[in-house]
Amino acid sequence: MDTSQRNNVKLRMLDRFREVNNAFPKTAQVLDYKLQGKKVFGWLCTYIPEEIIHAAGALPIRITGYSQETELEDGNAYFYINNCSFSRSCLQLGLRGGYDFLDGVVGGSTCDGARRLFDLWRYYIGTPFYHVLTIPRKYTQKAHALYYSQVKQFKKHLEEFLDIEITDEALYHSIQVYNESRTLLRKLYELRKLSAPPITGAETMEVLDASFRMPKELFNEYLSNLLDELSTSDNAHQGRARFMITGSVMANPEFIKSIEDQGGLVVADELCTSTRYWSDPVLLNGEEPPLQAISRRYLNNFPCARMFPSDERFNRILNLARDFKVDGMISQVIRYCVPYAHDLPLLTRKLKEQGIPTLALDVEYGTSGSGQIQTRVQAFLEMLEVRKR
Amino acid sequence: MTTTDQGKNKLDTIIRACRLLSRMNQARPDAQKSEVLYYQMLSKYYTRLLKAKEEGNFIAAHTVFFPTEILYAMDIVPMHTEATTWMISLFSGECADILSAGSELGLASEICTPHRGLAGAYATGTLPRPDVMLWSNMVCDNTAKSGEMLMEINHCPGFFIDRPFKRSEEEERYLVGELEDMIHFLEEQSGRKMDWARLKEIVARMDRQIELTREICKLREAVPTPFHSQGFLELVSTDYLFPGQPEAIEYLETLRQELTEMVKAGKGAVPHERFRLMTLFLPPMYLIGFLEKISQEYGAVSVTEPFFTYWGEGRLDPAKPLESVAKKSYMIPEMRMYGPLDERALDNVVSCAKQYKVDGAIYYADVGCRHTCATIKLFKDILNEIDVPVLTLDCDVVDPTATSEEEVREKLEQFFELLEDR
Repeated sequence: MDTSQRNNVKLRMLDRFREVNNAFPKTAQVLDYKLQGKKVFGWLCTYIPEEIIHAAGALPIRITGYSQETELEDGNAYFYINNCSFSRSCLQLGLRGGYDFLDGVVGGSTCDGARRLFDLWRYYIGTPFYHVLTIPRKYTQKAHALYYSQVKQFKKHLEEFLDIEITDEALYHSIQVYNESRTLLRKLYELRKLSAPPITGAETMEVLDASFRMPKELFNEYLSNLLDELSTSDNAHQGRARFMITGSVMANPEFIKSIEDQGGLVVADELCTSTRYWSDPVLLNGEEPPLQAISRRYLNNFPCARMFPSDERFNRILNLARDFKVDGMISQVIRYCVPYAHDLPLLTRKLKEQGIPTLALDVEYGTSGSGQIQTRVQAFLEMLEVRKR
Repeated sequence: MTTTDQGKNKLDTIIRACRLLSRMNQARPDAQKSEVLYYQMLSKYYTRLLKAKEEGNFIAAHTVFFPTEILYAMDIVPMHTEATTWMISLFSGECADILSAGSELGLASEICTPHRGLAGAYATGTLPRPDVMLWSNMVCDNTAKSGEMLMEINHCPGFFIDRPFKRSEEEERYLVGELEDMIHFLEEQSGRKMDWARLKEIVARMDRQIELTREICKLREAVPTPFHSQGFLELVSTDYLFPGQPEAIEYLETLRQELTEMVKAGKGAVPHERFRLMTLFLPPMYLIGFLEKISQEYGAVSVTEPFFTYWGEGRLDPAKPLESVAKKSYMIPEMRMYGPLDERALDNVVSCAKQYKVDGAIYYADVGCRHTCATIKLFKDILNEIDVPVLTLDCDVVDPTATSEEEVREKLEQFFELLEDR
């Protein structure tokens, strides 16, 4: 690794997260759940409120595609080559039985890829329960009212399917579990603000990946232990430049590792698999029903590029870049991921105004950083070093 | 990025071509009156747009399926963004210049050509600069995401309509709220007031327009079918550009009358009808003339387009104009494809195939349209189940470099051979 390190001791708890990820999608934790006769539901996008599934006594897991670059023969045949490789990868994994343990799939009208993934999953894979939510693209009061109503419908549909009642008490408990997870992840990210963080970007991504694939209670336990371990470790990573990653869905630590192998240190991100997933807690507000608090959090959360106006997202990115002392932005947009491709020219300009240059990479989902990407990262690093002189 | 505001070339090209076609049709003894009316209508649309600035009119550029009825009721000149890129491709046969200008703005190649080309056309000043930009998420991420950059290029304000994906009373009410907010925005920006009486008239005519389109589609069930193969694009353009306008009613009534007479006389659109086709998605605009020629040559006619001409159930109520405009957005034929693909949406395709006695279907796989390409296998599978073969033709709706006449001819000939063998 080119990133300079001091006292880099292997983190014991990271192995626990790796065990989960290595078994993905059929992790031991998911299989245990099924053995106990409990239900597992897959969700397709961060606008699906997991707490409701959790409060129903079921396990919500995120549907993602192959963790590595994979030939997508079935994905290409069932979708088409011009659909994003994330959707194709997810569908292929589903078609080949990777998610045959699922009792339900929950999607939303988030982006074209996710919408069509839901349609094709429903037709070709045949999971017992399906639900799709209309997800507004605005933050207005009316948009919140509509989304709340969608969330209520989803809860009702789930209750009918499982023949249970999802009580407010259960929702409060789920909010507490998920908020704890968010708090712990925030603590982890605070460490990355240090000039020499004790954890790399690639390692952080391993933690985040596991967070979608196991019960939150257990994840929280693992993460607390990791934070304890980090607090006593002397690990310290420094790079030739501090990077932030922005753009499409991405869950491959190898991609980040390939950047860090070139000498950059990834200290922050704006991805739906990371900061945008955990950054905002559910805030309880007096007598307000817990479901409404959940609904408000999910629509107001760190926005995806699908939302309008885009400035909301851009401003949060700029704040993160400032808080994490980012030298350069790496945009990774999956080919045919239109929301991020549309935003990129506008975002690049805003970052430039703040003195932050952007390296724009066209990637495929699961890419681990090819030779060409490494060459471009290397050139980007050199350019940043010249600027610093 | 700057807009020079001087380029009228693209609109000039469209207007001249439409006038020429209209005159040529008038001179042809066998031409139908509807053909003359259609090109007059297009010419009128683009002439109004071209002259809007000098006549002191307010221009609103808008994405596809936008509720243009509201613009007409407010006497605002609409500029249909995607349709204008299609027309540029259709009448000029190429659009490399505007696509290249779009790429220079930083728009990636996966952004569909109608949107990339449009951004390029505005940036190079080859289209009139709009006063406001209006856009919605009614189709895809491209329509939902295009507005902010176009606002920046044109230095104009804009309004985004957030149209709910699914349909329920509550979702329609939300859309009505969005329309109310947009009207307020337009009143502020243009200084014009909404003319509610006029909107009611437009909605009444739009209802009639939908009924006429349904009647025309019913006539196309006849064997032989009376309407020419790519004629459905004229129905689509009429809705896109002239919703609820008197010109649209005149054109559609004339067309219906002509088709009725043809059906009575047992006369078909092609001399010897051999293959009745279903068209799935849009053919390449620059090949329309060529596809008509092939249609005549092989007796192959598009008789139904479930996602372009087959309106959803329901009527519009002029007494509730805004609710009707919202309702229409869920009745539009294209929404069968862009909305939730439930069993009902799939059954509609199957019933269309049966109702129109379809021999085969052609799926135009527009490389820029991820949304429609994602359903190729799905529709192929359900049509194959009822023994309807499907040909997939890779193309781009406006970029002629994506495919050639020769390639398309070869694939179509092979497909027609297959149909013949059956």
